[in-house]
Amino acid sequence: MSAGKILVVDDDPQIRRVMRATLVGHKYEVIEARNGDEALTRIPAEMPDLVLLDLNMPGIGGLETCRHLRSGSDVPIIVLSVRNTEKDKVAALDAGADDYVTKPFGMEELLARIRAALRRAPTSPDNVPHALATSDLQIDFDTRRIRVAGKETRLTPKEFDLLRYLVSQAGKPVPHRELLQAVWGPDYGDEPEYLRVFINQLRKKIEPNPAKPKYILTEPWVGYRFASGGDSPNQ
Amino acid sequence: MPRLSGRRALQLIGALAIVAAIVAFYHRALHVNNTTVALTLLLAILGISSWWGLAEAAVASVAAVLGFNYYFLPPIGTFEIQDPQNWVALAAFLATAVTVSQLSARAKGRTLEAEVRRRETEGLYSLSQTLLLSGSARTASQDLVSRVVKILGVNTAAFYTKSTNETFRWGPENQLVADAQLQADRDEPLIDAQKGFAIVPVRLGGQAIGNLGLAGPLPSAAVLNAVAYLVAIGVERARAMEEAGQAEAARRSEVLKSALLDALAHDFRTPLTSIKAAVTSLLGGERSPADRELMTIINEEADRLNRLVAEVLEMVRVEAGKLHLEKHPSDVTELIRATLAEFRPAILDRPLEVRLQQGLPETEVDSDFIQQVLKQLLDNAVKYSPPHSPLTISARSGEGRVIVSVADRGSGIPEAEQMRVFDKFFRGREHRFRVPGSGMGLAIAKGIVEAHGGRIWVTSEPGQGSVFSFSLPVYRGEMVS
Repeated sequence: MSAGKILVVDDDPQIRRVMRATLVGHKYEVIEARNGDEALTRIPAEMPDLVLLDLNMPGIGGLETCRHLRSGSDVPIIVLSVRNTEKDKVAALDAGADDYVTKPFGMEELLARIRAALRRAPTSPDNVPHALATSDLQIDFDTRRIRVAGKETRLTPKEFDLLRYLVSQAGKPVPHRELLQAVWGPDYGDEPEYLRVFINQLRKKIEPNPAKPKYILTEPWVGYRFASGGDSPNQ
Repeated sequence: MPRLSGRRALQLIGALAIVAAIVAFYHRALHVNNTTVALTLLLAILGISSWWGLAEAAVASVAAVLGFNYYFLPPIGTFEIQDPQNWVALAAFLATAVTVSQLSARAKGRTLEAEVRRRETEGLYSLSQTLLLSGSARTASQDLVSRVVKILGVNTAAFYTKSTNETFRWGPENQLVADAQLQADRDEPLIDAQKGFAIVPVRLGGQAIGNLGLAGPLPSAAVLNAVAYLVAIGVERARAMEEAGQAEAARRSEVLKSALLDALAHDFRTPLTSIKAAVTSLLGGERSPADRELMTIINEEADRLNRLVAEVLEMVRVEAGKLHLEKHPSDVTELIRATLAEFRPAILDRPLEVRLQQGLPETEVDSDFIQQVLKQLLDNAVKYSPPHSPLTISARSGEGRVIVSVADRGSGIPEAEQMRVFDKFFRGREHRFRVPGSGMGLAIAKGIVEAHGGRIWVTSEPGQGSVFSFSLPVYRGEMVS
């Protein structure tokens, strides 16, 4: 049984060869696409569990592909790029990527990131709330459904995990590192830009006024805190 | 005394002929009373003065008085006048004829003058139109000179422009304005209406742009000055447009250079990605020690190539002034702590002293870049000092800046080389073949510090060690993003 189906999107054939050889060696099923268009046509038919996406490709670029992909799918996306500035990372995360790896990379690191992306955040029934309800926000953590001001809202798995972790610690400030490791995995912790982007996206989706958040609060120099607005989460 | 022109002579004869014809007609053909004759003659004189001018009218008046007296005032056939009443009539006739001539001639003069002004204004307008449509400064200058000739009706025009020391001419070769006169600095126009020659300074806002020389029938001084002013505006405008075009071209070339750099970075890193991914994938499995050693070498060298690509790119960006700094108020203590958190594992064998002055002001820096500088200085200190020797990092404030220093106990830098360690590709003599490096690290650090408006320097005592320091601007409370 395969460990998961991975779509490798890269215009460089050598990189696709290396990825295929390595990933197949680690029991993953590998499919390939040479550019964004091909990736977008293959995904509905193949339903991969994860996408490894190059940014610098001919045709519609990686960012555009990422946005298209994200608009119709929750599949985890790891962007692989030769660019290494924070601006590039934030742009990719904004476009819907879950993670960003700078080329060239060591294969162990990439494999760890793939494992982290495929794994759901750990859920121990003891401290995880099942539901949360306030006047304008209803979350059912078991069915992963969210209603904001009465309207069904869709979160990506990473956004959902982030929100669930914050709610489980409601009222307490959660440090950046703890939050990153809880949602992305134990190898993470030095990527505060990830949190900035994902918290922003979450606020846009669940806050009545994202500029003045009332649920997800910033704790300067520390991290973030979930304030349930007087309502305590149902345990 | 100027000689009469042929046209003038003809007009004078014509005026006399008209008077003679009227007198002869009334004397021979049609007998009417004297008043009718006198009025007819007055009418003729009025016509002559308005068509031809005052001189013709005056001559006609005198002839008319004589003819009227001789043929119509008794005793007829003589210039004598019997009746004193007729003296009065004759005098009245003469006075009327002369006054009428004068008034009419003056009106005609005004009309002519107005016509000249109208043509001049039209000329200036047409010139200003030309100015707005001309392209580059060179073609504009050439265009202007030919337009000036056409519009002002002069024979030849020349424009000398100071900025490029060029002269643009239009008109027949034999009437050229002399170079020396054209190129001399002058504050006042030189106008010689007799010879039909003028040189007018072309100035804009008190700044001399050049001179405009004209030969041929000249317009008024006011028009000459207006033309010079228009030329100044036209040339300056064309020059400004040309400069704007060059700035745009330079900008595009910069954009192209950046795109080229990005493409280059991508093209180098793509094969490196395959190599590194492949070899680390192999390293992840069970390997014999010999295989593992060889694969490790491949992996390390791929990393080294990648660092070199990064350094070259960074160097080019620093040199092109294309570092995109995102400055924020930053605590230097925090920057040092963050750098050490990353760097400390590599120097666990070194005693490390961190000396931070209390109450350091915040600095206004791009913290990523400044951490890079700190890392570079630490890296250098480690490379150029013996294993296990101590390192010191310190930060203090002074002269409105925060100064960060990294000190080692290495062999130091000979004085002759101290000035050059920040030069691109410079490697110290002693270490050139012993210590790995590209010779770009310190040059990049210098570029980054200077882009922040700071300074980087080294003090060193051979045998005692080196201290590398850099200064950073203090945050003043106004963010420049």
